[in-house]
Order: sequence, then C-alpha cells, then structure tokens
Amino acid sequence: MLQIELLSKSFDKGKNFALKDVSFHLKQGDVCAIVGESGSGKTTLARLIAGLETPDAGIITIDGKIVSSTNKLVVPEKRKVGLVFQDYALFPHLNLMQNVLYGISKDKNKNERAEEVLKLVGLKEFKDRYPHQLSGGQQQRVALARALAPNPSLLILDEPFSNLDSMLRMQLRNEIFEIVKNTGVTAIFVTHDTQDALAVADEILILQNGRLIQKDEAANLYTKPKSIYVASLFGNTIQLSSDLQSAFKCPLSPECCHAVRNENFAINAECEHVTHAMVLKKTFLGHDTRLLLKLDNGQQLTVLTKDKVVEDRIIIGFNSIDVLQFTS
Amino acid sequence: MKQAGSKNLFSLNNRLKRLKRDSNHWAILTLVLVGLIALPVISIGIKLFSGPGETWGHIVENLLLDYIGNSLFLVFVCGFMVVLIGVSTSWLVARFEFPYRKQLEWLLILPLAIPSYIVAYSYAGILDYGGSLELILRFFGFDFVRIDIMNKTGLAFVLGISLFPYVYVSSRAFFLNQANNLMEASKMLGVGEIKSFFKLILPLARPAIVAGLILVLMEVLNDYGAAKYFGVSTFTTGIFRSWFSLAEPETAVYLSALLIIIVFGLILLEKFQRRKIQFSSSKANSQGIHRRTLSKRIQYLIFSFVLLPVLLGFIIPVAQLIYWAFLTYENVFTSSFLIISLQSFGIAFLTAIVTVIVAILLIYFSKWSRISSLKNIAKLGVLGYAIPGAVVAIGIMIPTIFIDKWLIGTLDYLFQIQPGLIISGTLIALIYAYVVRFLAVAFNPIESTALKVNDSIPDSSRILGVGNIKTFFKIDFPLIKTGILSAFILVFMDVIKELPLTLILKPFQVNTLAVKAYEYASDEMVMEAAIPSLLIILTVMLPVIFLNRLLVK
Repeated sequence: MLQIELLSKSFDKGKNFALKDVSFHLKQGDVCAIVGESGSGKTTLARLIAGLETPDAGIITIDGKIVSSTNKLVVPEKRKVGLVFQDYALFPHLNLMQNVLYGISKDKNKNERAEEVLKLVGLKEFKDRYPHQLSGGQQQRVALARALAPNPSLLILDEPFSNLDSMLRMQLRNEIFEIVKNTGVTAIFVTHDTQDALAVADEILILQNGRLIQKDEAANLYTKPKSIYVASLFGNTIQLSSDLQSAFKCPLSPECCHAVRNENFAINAECEHVTHAMVLKKTFLGHDTRLLLKLDNGQQLTVLTKDKVVEDRIIIGFNSIDVLQFTS
Repeated sequence: MKQAGSKNLFSLNNRLKRLKRDSNHWAILTLVLVGLIALPVISIGIKLFSGPGETWGHIVENLLLDYIGNSLFLVFVCGFMVVLIGVSTSWLVARFEFPYRKQLEWLLILPLAIPSYIVAYSYAGILDYGGSLELILRFFGFDFVRIDIMNKTGLAFVLGISLFPYVYVSSRAFFLNQANNLMEASKMLGVGEIKSFFKLILPLARPAIVAGLILVLMEVLNDYGAAKYFGVSTFTTGIFRSWFSLAEPETAVYLSALLIIIVFGLILLEKFQRRKIQFSSSKANSQGIHRRTLSKRIQYLIFSFVLLPVLLGFIIPVAQLIYWAFLTYENVFTSSFLIISLQSFGIAFLTAIVTVIVAILLIYFSKWSRISSLKNIAKLGVLGYAIPGAVVAIGIMIPTIFIDKWLIGTLDYLFQIQPGLIISGTLIALIYAYVVRFLAVAFNPIESTALKVNDSIPDSSRILGVGNIKTFFKIDFPLIKTGILSAFILVFMDVIKELPLTLILKPFQVNTLAVKAYEYASDEMVMEAAIPSLLIILTVMLPVIFLNRLLVK
C-alpha cells in the first residue's frame, strides 16, 4: 500500500541528514507507529510522505503509484493522504462543519459525509462552533474528522497527543485509535512516546538520527530489540559489561552485545545468575525505590525495584531467558 | 550497490536533476517578478558601460566633492540629531509619567506626516525677512535677528526635525517591550537609573536604534525638494541637474550608480552591526509597564522637553501653513486644484493596489516554489526602498525609453502606425517606479502577518485536496487581511508624499499635490504651496493615527 525506498533528505546540502536511506512498506489497513526522539527525522518522514517536503533521493509509492522520486513529485493535494498536525491546524475562521466540509466540497453527499464523521468523533452537536470555542481534546477530534472525511488511502497523525495532559492523553489515544481501526484506513502514527506506540500500533518503526534502525511488531520489539538503544526506549535496561558478567558469573560472547531489563532483576529470589551486593544508597521514589549497589567484585550498579528492601546486604540476580542479545 | 547512490547525492549532476524536478511555474514567476523589480538597478549598471557624458569630467573636478561633502554632512548631522531626539523622547515616554504623556506619545509620530520639503518651505517663510518670527518679535517690541536657514546646516535641521520619528518609533518599541524587566534587574543589583540606561539599555537598544536611523539616512539621501529649495547641492540635486538642465542622461546614470553604492554601503553596515550582536527578546513584557512618577517640577521639565520636538516638527510648521492658507485660498482653490487632488488620490489608490498585489505575489510565489533559496531572492525585491526615488526614476527611464523606441519602430515598420510614447512618459512607467520604490512598505506588514499564520494551516488545506491559489483565497487571505489593509494605507501615504520620482516620471498632463506644492515654491509663490501641502498632511495624518490605534490594539 505504501512503499518507501532509500528515502533521504538533508536540510543543509548533505552536511547532516534528517533522513538517510530509509526503506519500508506497509500493508493495507496497517496501523504503524514511527518512534524516535526529537531530531530523529520522524516528522520529516511524515512530511515527505504527505508531499510537504521534497526528498533528495528515494522513491515513495502510494497505492501502486509513484508519488515522489528524483524526477517526479506529485503535489500534496493529489496524494490522497490525510494528515493530522501536531497543532491540529484547524482553520480558525471556519466553524466545525465548514472545517470538515473543506476537503469534500466536490462530493455529492458532502453534508451527510461531514455529519457522519463529526458523529464518529462525537462532536455532531458542536458543528456550528468555531475552533477557539473547543477544548484541546475536542480540537484534536475535529482534526481527525476533517482528515477522515475525504476517505484518504493513508492517514498520518503527527504527534497528535503531545499538546494534551497525560490523563486526557491516554483516554483520547484509545478513543482515536478505535475510530481509526474501525474505519480500516492505513495509518501512520508519529510519536516520541513508546507507551503510546505500544498501545495502538501493530507495527513499530524506530528512527535514530535519520536512520531506520528497527521495524517490527510491537511485542517483538520489546523482547528482541536489535540494539541497546531500542531496548532502552522501552524502559531502563542494564548492559552486561564484562565486569558485570563476571560478577554474575555468566560469561557471554561477544561481550558487547548483551543486556538485561531492569524489571528482570530479582532481589533475594531464586535465579540462575546471582551475586551478593551491599546497598550503598536507597532513594525512595514513591512507586519504586532506587538502589545503588556495590557488587561483590567491587562493581557498582543502580537498579529500580518495587520491593521493600530493609537489609544492607542482598542477593540480586536474573535468569538467562531474560538476557537480551543484540545483533548490532 | 544501491547504497552507493546516497554518497554523491549532492554532486552537481544530482543537484541539477532535483533543480529540474523542483522548478515549478511558481519558481519561474518569482524570478520574473524579482527581475522586473531589479530592472532599474540592472539598467543603470548596464548603462554605465556606454561611458560617462561630456560634462562628467567637469562634474568630477568641480562638483563631485561638493555632492559627497554635503551629502555626508547631512548624513552625519541629521543622524546625530535624530538619535538624540528619538532616543531621549522615546525613553522619557516609556519610563516616566508626566502630564499629557499619552497624547504626546502619538503626537511625536506626527512630524512624519509632513514631507521634509514642506517643512523646509514653512521654516523658510517663518525665518525670512518679514516672516512670521519677525512679525511676532516686533509685536512684542523685540529686535529681529535673522537666522539664515537656507544653507546645509538649516537643511540638516529641517530633515532631522521631520525624520526623527523613525528612530522614536523603533526605539520606543524596544523600550516598551524590554526595558522594564532589564531596569528592574539592574536596580536589584544596585545600579542607578542613569547608569543603567547608559551601561545596559543603550547597548541593548542599539539594533533597534540603528534600524530607525538607517531609514532616516535613506530619506536624507532621497530628499530633493528641501535641498533644492535651500540651494544645497547633493547627489539627488546633481542627478536632477544632469538629467534636466544639462540633458545628459549618462552623467545622471553615473551619479545614480555612486549613490546606489553609498546606500548599499549603509545597508551592509546595518546588517553587520545586527549580525555581530543579536539580542532577540527573551520574552515580551507581560506585567505591563510601570512608569516612574517624579516630583511635579521635574514632570513639567520632561513635559516641555518632549513637547519641543512636536512643536518644532509639527505644530509650528503647520501653523505657518495654515496662516498662509488663509492668505491664499482664493487664488489656489480653483477647479484645476480639484482635478490635481483627484489625480493625486487616484494615482495613490491605484499604486497602493498594484503594490499590495505585487507584494502578495512575491511572498506567496516564492513560498509555493519548492526551492527554498527563492525566499531569500524574493527578499531582494524589497531593496527598492533603499534606492532614492530619483535613482529609481532614472533606472525606469532607461529601459522604458528603449522599449518604446523599439515598439514605435516596429509598429511603424509593420503597420505604418505612429503611436506616441507607450510606456515611458505615461502612468505605466510612473506606477511601475512607485511599485519598485515602495514594495518594501507593502511587503513587510504583509509578510509579518503571514508569518503569524502557522504553515500547518495552509498545508492542511493542500492535504485536503485544495490547490495553492484556492488555498490562498479561502485560507490565507482571510487570515492576513489586517496586514494587507495596513500595507495599502502605508503605500497610499507614501505615494501622496512622494516628490523626486514623480517629478521625473509624471506624464505632462498629470499633476500631483506634491508636485503642485513644489512648483509653487519654485516659482517664488511659496505661500500658495500651503494649501496643497496641508491637504497632503491631512491625508497622511489620518491613517497615521488610525494605524497607531491598530498597532496599540
């Protein structure tokens, strides 16, 4: 449905690349999240797909038609892509109905369609209001309705929840993706939040410094990250250095490429690899407690734990099944 | 391997390939527009190669030093004067409470409503033998000592007192936005008001002050009417002399080229000082301004100090004009005067519309083109404001006469038709020149309102399947209306005031209020110049007040 081949974009004539040699493809109906830190190129990727940016190299194909290559560019208005902007970008001088009608003014049943999508997002009774009369969450839903109205073949949501507070965010995230999944549209969800991505996406793409470093199903990404960077995106991860390997008496090779997630460390429990440790410092963080430990071989280690630790000397360990192995 | 391709992505070959892909018709239209706007300067540059005129040697030997000397004298003395008046008054109104502060705050802008040549006429009348000052002094029984103002010092005074509001406006904006927090911080550190001002505020305000100062200096170099009336030889009067009296276009072109170099030197200087220190406002003042209240005696002292430039730059010259108007209205108010006024307003109206449209086209064409460097090229179109009106006029004359000659020749050859002049010497050339000169006046307010519209809004429209032009009318235009309106008003005002460019390019049968005032003054009928002058002032003053309100909101 969407095919991207070796896409590259630089904003400073090749000194730095916002996006470098990115390739992937999506099937009809996929909901895919693009995850990366700020500056990873995820918004640039979304804008290139939408046609708002011109690539330096690479080919973008939507529904079997090439929309972007080195000698051809299809203008955004002809790409049939829907885009929900981070700032919603509602037209401030038009009311909700007019906003939603904007993209479907040539349709025969435009009024029915507009009411239909407004109903879908639960804002039908607000159709005469103007954007500034709505809350942030409501504006968000109008932006979705407006993008869905013309039945786009691909829907892109660029950091749609970053302007909302965390309570509203979770609720709205689930609502919005239920709507998206019910419509069956292929969707790309750009976010920096791995929790958001895990909650809604079938597939997740990880971008780092403009490069696609892993694309996988959500569960796989958690259990089989390709690098320590990907692993730490989904929670605190401790790399097993050679000193740690000797402390826990679990020699691994090659020694650079192994780690254990923080939550897989167990305190005073039966484990395959254990060591004694002195508690140097305890910091109470509410939900968790942070422990600074000095292991038997003198190595220091910081772990978070939910357990109440009262002793000064503990046993800490993990099982081999929880050791992550990186390919890079 | 495919990967190898990305290494030479920025090779010349690949860049050209992308340039070909990205050049849409908007990019070409942007270049055409910029080319048309740059045409006058380019023409002057090309014309330089046909060599100087016969009198050029004579001018270099006998007059050029005078032109340079007088122009530099005016630049320095005026510059010093406008900074002194502009900065001191803006600081006082921004920091202190005193009687009638609010009224004086906008009265200080009004000297801009009087073109400097009109200030020159009225001061010449006030200080002349038998002038208003002598009458008043004699009435109170004093002896009259004549102050001769018809020299370069007098000219510097006239230009300074009518142009200082440029500095006042730009530095006041800075003081109102920034100074309050800075002064509070400085005082918390135990530094007094005066020391804080010189050590902290003044260096920080420098970019704002210089921005205003540069505008003043460009107006000084642009002035023709006042210098001509006072008999001071400057570059502009030199250009007029070689064009009209000596009938030697080549010499006018050489002088124009020199003047362009001086002006661009000034612009570079400004860019340089701005680049070295860039103080962007961290945060605009949100708590409002707390003005200091001093003792009543000092308040009245401040009041008198701030009132003085308003008196000298606005009230006194206008009073003189009103007095003259009463003496001459019977001779001046004729049906031909009505026609001149209507022509003046009509031309200004038409020009303002064309200029606003060109500014919008330039901003949006460059935005719609996919080549990002075109936005900077579009900005070049704005430099016309720096080029003195007389130079723009010469620069328009060269290509239009050339085209007319060609057209007349071709039409005669093909159809045996002998039309008169088609472009040169018609309204087309005049309005073309106005657009070149005043494009910046329209470009800046429209661009700044356009920048406030987040890109994602027109982008959304495109994504929803609506093309560029339709997006502009449905989305951008309603959101930038206020910018367009203020651009229109500002250009209208500038055209009503404009003198040197109009004098060179106006068609024979057309006249404007500014030209009429100039003609009266040149024909030793300076009193008769009062009524057209007052009409200009009134036309310019109303929008100034209106715009001030708009900006205060």
